[in-house]
Amino acid sequence: MKVGKVIGNVTLSHADSGFRGGRFIVVAPQGAKELKGQNPSGLSDAWTLVAYDNLGAGVGDDILYVEGAEAMQPFDYRTPLDAISVALLDTFKYAPPIN
Amino acid sequence: MILARIDGHAVTSIGHPSLKAQKIVLCTPIDEHGVDAGSPFAALDPIGAGQHARVFITTDGSWTQDTVHDDTSPIRNQVMGLIDTL
Repeated sequence: MKVGKVIGNVTLSHADSGFRGGRFIVVAPQGAKELKGQNPSGLSDAWTLVAYDNLGAGVGDDILYVEGAEAMQPFDYRTPLDAISVALLDTFKYAPPIN
Repeated sequence: MILARIDGHAVTSIGHPSLKAQKIVLCTPIDEHGVDAGSPFAALDPIGAGQHARVFITTDGSWTQDTVHDDTSPIRNQVMGLIDTL
């Protein structure tokens, strides 16, 4: 589970029927610098990824997302997902010790 | 399992139902000397670890599904213990 910032979305005209009910968002993973607010662009060096979203995350929102096999756990059928948004963040604080 | 230091927390009101009433902490992975060793991640914290506490974290999704009593939970990371000495 990691913090990411939504920077876009992906629309598909044809998709696996298992994906109905959600949509796909483009997520920029947030590193230490971004969480501390030291990088106004919010874009870290890490690769952006596409995640399934059924919470209604919009561009600019901070979210928690999960990568890996557990991403398909909310579904009662098998899907080829490996990244899913799990929470929209209202607030967060990230303050590592100074030294 | 990951060694980490608690560096913050997150608050959410819209999320997977298994996150309800759970405390979410933001952690930084550390090495055996306590030095930062990776990019931050989030975890559930059922034991109430304090800010800057050193902890170890499981990434076992099926264990978390057991402890939140929800087989549909996609959450993997959970604080398992506080480190006294390292």
